[in-house]
Amino acid sequence: MTGLIKGCALALAATICIAGGANAQDCPVKLGAILPVSGPMGQVGERISNTGAFAVKLFNEAGGVKGCPVEYVLRDTQGQSAIGVDAAKSLVDLEGVAALIGAVSSGVSLPVLTSVAVPSKVVQVSCCSSSESFTALAEEGKTEGYWFRTYATNRSQSAMGAKLAIDSGFKKTAVIYVNTDFGVGLAKRFEDDIAKLGGTITSSVAYNESQQSYRAEVTKALEGEPDSLFLVAFPVDGATITREWLALGGTDNLIVNNSLRSDDYIQAVGAQYLTNLVGYDSAQPRVASVDTFNELFEAEFDGPPDGPGLHSVFDAVNVVLLAMEQSDEITGDNIREGIRAVTADGGTEVYPGVEGIQRAKELIAAGEAIRYVGATGALQFDANGDVQAPKMTWKLDGETNVETGYMSTEEVAELIKMLDAN
Amino acid sequence: MILQHTADGILSGAIIGLGAIGLSFTMKILRFANFSHSELLTWGAYFGLIFISVATAMGGFGGTFGPLSFGWPLILALVFAAVATSLLALLLHHLIFERLAKVTGHMTMVFASFGVALLLRNAVLLIFGADPIYYSNTLQFAVKLPGNVRVLPDQVFLLGLTIVVVIALHLFLTRSRTGIAMRATAESPDLARVSGVNVNNVVRWVWVIGASGAAVAGVLYGLTVQLRPELGFALILPLFAAAILGGAGSLYGAVLGGLIVGLSENLSVMIIPTTYKPAVPFLLILAILYFRPQGLFGEKS
Repeated sequence: MTGLIKGCALALAATICIAGGANAQDCPVKLGAILPVSGPMGQVGERISNTGAFAVKLFNEAGGVKGCPVEYVLRDTQGQSAIGVDAAKSLVDLEGVAALIGAVSSGVSLPVLTSVAVPSKVVQVSCCSSSESFTALAEEGKTEGYWFRTYATNRSQSAMGAKLAIDSGFKKTAVIYVNTDFGVGLAKRFEDDIAKLGGTITSSVAYNESQQSYRAEVTKALEGEPDSLFLVAFPVDGATITREWLALGGTDNLIVNNSLRSDDYIQAVGAQYLTNLVGYDSAQPRVASVDTFNELFEAEFDGPPDGPGLHSVFDAVNVVLLAMEQSDEITGDNIREGIRAVTADGGTEVYPGVEGIQRAKELIAAGEAIRYVGATGALQFDANGDVQAPKMTWKLDGETNVETGYMSTEEVAELIKMLDAN
Repeated sequence: MILQHTADGILSGAIIGLGAIGLSFTMKILRFANFSHSELLTWGAYFGLIFISVATAMGGFGGTFGPLSFGWPLILALVFAAVATSLLALLLHHLIFERLAKVTGHMTMVFASFGVALLLRNAVLLIFGADPIYYSNTLQFAVKLPGNVRVLPDQVFLLGLTIVVVIALHLFLTRSRTGIAMRATAESPDLARVSGVNVNNVVRWVWVIGASGAAVAGVLYGLTVQLRPELGFALILPLFAAAILGGAGSLYGAVLGGLIVGLSENLSVMIIPTTYKPAVPFLLILAILYFRPQGLFGEKS
């Protein structure tokens, strides 16, 4: 407890020093983050969190929000919904944040949204949750517009999986999927999508995470002699399933979801067995602002921004901070409107990085409209707070994964429209 | 497909049975439910890994046996793992369970075994890391048997070895003096003691047999599935189900219990969704405790 008080005193002193005689805004401006920096998603979560903190750092170098430094207040969710909700509650009630970044898993983001963000009128922007439940919730009006995400939904994932299967000439596909909100939703969509494209499903089998062996699941999925397998899994369990699938005589025509585009998975199975594997993943648009982010990231972290959620968390932080800058007073409602304002068509384009943010602040101060184009390109939130993203397809060449195709945001939207129409 | 599920059930049941033998004996002779027993499977598997790694580093011992994925190093690793795990079990007995048994009751022993399980599991995590490891990174492909049943050659070896171990244990329990003394102690420690049986010695034998069975089961599991720090922990429910089903202290009960658990887990997916499979051992435990609390081969006390 004393440590906490000391820490607060230090932080307070520091901010007073930096902020000097700022304007009426209470300093520092706090931005809450609820991310899984420990637990099963710890490695992924920590990189995402560091990237979020990096975005805040750049914003502060550009002068902060309304002359105030921004404090990035991180709370660990451990990937668990109960802990995530507690963390979000304490950020809102005790720290008084007006916006939350996070969480990663849809299963954590959803209860945080419904039991903390919406009731407290606080904006929540997720970098990584892709479940379609949020779209459904938004359509029912239950998110009240406080929900945004900078990461494309599952909708495009099942469409890409189905398209890959059909383009590869597969007729009878088995599905093995993780028994979570994410996996169940994706598998269900996949069944519809592949049927519309002219393929069939032999069986669709759910698996529970962290089991030792999936022999029974694999045996069930082998029924009906499928010519291909659509696997929706995460690297560790995915490798176990793939090994058992291949060992028990399953085809090596594999279609895998984006989380399996990982060296952990490929090494655990053995690249020599995965020569017929195809996969898809979100791609960054081929625009200059993405390269700008990549360069900034490389300079800061000594490595490329490979891994899920890094581009999207960077943009999540930036749109929230720009929306704060845009607001007269920093409240959840103002941020909600502000996010729409700083990403609307027609404004002057502004880019990531210290100079870009400085330019954005000048334009806002002059009362001009801005349009943020960031690490994920030009963000376009629809009425439900969702974005679309370009997709890429990949396969293995030896041990390394190589890109085999690229679909722009428009092409992905076109595919989904076609699948939803008939 | 029913044949395939049956084959899978028998094969996974063999490992559970082998692991449950030790658990069943400790329950009967040492008179407490040892929740750290499953961690002996984990340690056995990782002891095997140590041996195989060292053997490979020294150039290995020739190739592999026919269609099997391994050669002599694995056979020797089984022996090494059994000895090392027995020593570990004796150490735990000496440092913890023997002392506690003198001063406290069953429940304290049970809770202590929980603590020991945590310690053992996290020690594996600390030393070997959380990532799954395989004895051999080469994939073994299944062979097709009549009836469209696919099994891995390694699994056939597993089943054969289980049968050999069970027969050897049967002979040991019925023919050797130590084996007979063990059965006597199981019946009544006090009567055994007054008849001149060295009960402390018997207890040590129980640990050695239990730990060796666990180690062999662990290595076989590592061979046919994979090594993970949670290897034993994930099997704890099936192990207890098998031991309770068979009746505490019964060799054949434990093996049969293992087979029933394995079969019912694998066959259940034909009628219920696969996601409910882990609940099957729970249901078995509930059913057996309700209808026949002493187990299939246990005697009413």
